Amino acid sequence: MAEAQQRLQALSEEFQAIQKDLQNLIASRQRLEAQRQENAGVEKEFSSLKNGEKIFKLVGPVLLEQEKVEAESTVKGRLEFITKEMTRVDKQIEEIQAKLEMKKTEILQIQASAQGGGSQGPLGDAPKGKAAAARGR
Amino acid sequence: MEVSIDSLSPQQLAGLKKQLEEELEHLSSSFNQLAAVQSKFRECLRCVERGVKSSSEEGDSILVPLTTSLYVRGNISQSDKVVVDVGTGFYVEKDTKSTVQFYTAKIQEISGNIQGLEGMVEKKSGSLQLVEEVRKNTSRPLKKQE
Repeated sequence: MAEAQQRLQALSEEFQAIQKDLQNLIASRQRLEAQRQENAGVEKEFSSLKNGEKIFKLVGPVLLEQEKVEAESTVKGRLEFITKEMTRVDKQIEEIQAKLEMKKTEILQIQASAQGGGSQGPLGDAPKGKAAAARGR
Repeated sequence: MEVSIDSLSPQQLAGLKKQLEEELEHLSSSFNQLAAVQSKFRECLRCVERGVKSSSEEGDSILVPLTTSLYVRGNISQSDKVVVDVGTGFYVEKDTKSTVQFYTAKIQEISGNIQGLEGMVEKKSGSLQLVEEVRKNTSRPLKKQE
């Protein structure tokens, strides 16, 4: 029984670690999405640029004039990079979700077997009492 | 996919409630951010329309802020062009007319986003209320049984 509990403790710690990783990944995925949106907006703005409208790039504290072609290729390159990063992060998220699911079933199995073992023992009615307490809340 | 809300256990309902609350919080903070950005754009639009476009002529004097508390006197050398931040470190020099168009489009875009967000917030708070009600209704009959 104590062994099962220890195992359960370790598993739940692992589960929480994976959950944290997942949250980090989701956060970076959101950041990428925001960057993509911003760059897409700039690309759209460049494509609807009229004649005589100059593009400047902020380099440190100064604005440098830049050719349209150059600026467009910069934004395009960024968008490509961001899209690649997004598919990479998506893949990682999928993998980690699968891992999470596996840990979950493992935990549930151990819990089920521990409970199954408990009800056969002398404390056979313990689970029932727990359930009643839960209902009372 | 859809699960009847009545079939959930109290723990599941509590979990659902927590999740909905978190989502709602996230949505409303996004909502506030959007509103802040929109009012910034409105201010830009107002500056361009009233400040640069209508009243100023070339040679008008202006106080240029070097820091928030230090200014130098300057002259507007070109009053029909402004430089607009279009995002990600890029700036575009535009005439006032297309600047007005630019900001109007931005404001409208954000209005659309805000409306979409409002719909989602409404839906989420509706679900949250439903969950709360079910929680109340299920906890009472069970207590009577005991």
